[in-house]
Amino acid sequence: MLPARDRAAAGVTRRIALDTFGQSPQPVIETQRLRLRRHRIDDFEAFVALWATPKVVRFITGKPSTREESWGRYLRTAGSWSVLGFGFFAVEEKSTGAYLGDAGFHDARRDMLPSIEGIPEAGWVLSPSVHGKGFATEIVKALHAWGDSYLQAEKSVCIISPENLASIRVAEKCGYAEVTRTTYHDDTVILFERHR
Amino acid sequence: MNIAHSAAIPVVETERVILRGHRLDDFDAHAAMWADPVVTRFLGGKPFTREESWARYLRYAGLWSVLGFGFWAVEDRTTRRLIGSAGFHELRRDIEPSLEGIPEAGWGLVSTSHGKGLATEVVVAMHQWGDAFFDGGKTVCIIDPKNIASRRVAEKCGYREVLKTTYRGEPTILFERLAGAATG
Repeated sequence: MLPARDRAAAGVTRRIALDTFGQSPQPVIETQRLRLRRHRIDDFEAFVALWATPKVVRFITGKPSTREESWGRYLRTAGSWSVLGFGFFAVEEKSTGAYLGDAGFHDARRDMLPSIEGIPEAGWVLSPSVHGKGFATEIVKALHAWGDSYLQAEKSVCIISPENLASIRVAEKCGYAEVTRTTYHDDTVILFERHR
Repeated sequence: MNIAHSAAIPVVETERVILRGHRLDDFDAHAAMWADPVVTRFLGGKPFTREESWARYLRYAGLWSVLGFGFWAVEDRTTRRLIGSAGFHELRRDIEPSLEGIPEAGWGLVSTSHGKGLATEVVVAMHQWGDAFFDGGKTVCIIDPKNIASRRVAEKCGYREVLKTTYRGEPTILFERLAGAATG
């Protein structure tokens, strides 16, 4: 028999592995090639790998995330759904079931002017292995089709680095127009908005 | 949209305070607390911006939905004001030894509630809850060596020092507590 402390540790590990407590309802959105669904704890290692990839964070924070930072992001993603009723989805490839990235709406109460507090802000990030296939446009269009009825918000916004031409193109295809240029955490960003 | 996200979070009561899930209307008080240098002196060392406090607030909610445990809002029973936050989390910290998978206790109170024995009252109560919830498992906490007040609280609640380590370049003491260890 294990010493009491090891038994106890095993019990805690089992308890922590659960991912079913108090979950708020979260819709599933399907497109031709992709599925947007709730994050699962077993996505976490792929989530860490994605956010540690320099090419992925190049236009987002500029700095690869540590495992600890990604866990913070993972928890905030779950918290956004339970606090605000919307948030980011995990993007899954239908044909393989692989986790490819994150996309959705959030409100990060960013330290930015003009303030976008209270306005759903769209965001998306995909593994570089699937860039260039039109996945981002497919996702962002589907997100907004869902958001237009679900969020009941007159408009949504997004912020994009001026150098991030691929994302600017996706935003424009999905109905976003530039509002202004501003700075966020010392970097220049373009604020876009889209009316329902 | 404001979903009643705190509904599934247990409530723990003590003589002077109530531990309950955070509500969206706690946010201004939460942000004010974390912007106070006295509060953050031993907890990161830097006052939080409103945006950083919001990230913490979302993380609190995420803990409960992902792990089934998390941090509570500490409410003064008399004034009904938010006077702190306390509970258990698991942050996958970049620390040696790894604490991953072990519930880690933490607590913070507004500076006007310091020095009244409230932290001990809160930490005792949450461990009574934790002893049942964590199936008799151990819990840990990390405390800045200069934070004498919190070290005293931890020791009163059954924690003992395991070792000294560093976290984000700063020295910290790792404490652990076996379920059922003396509280109070």
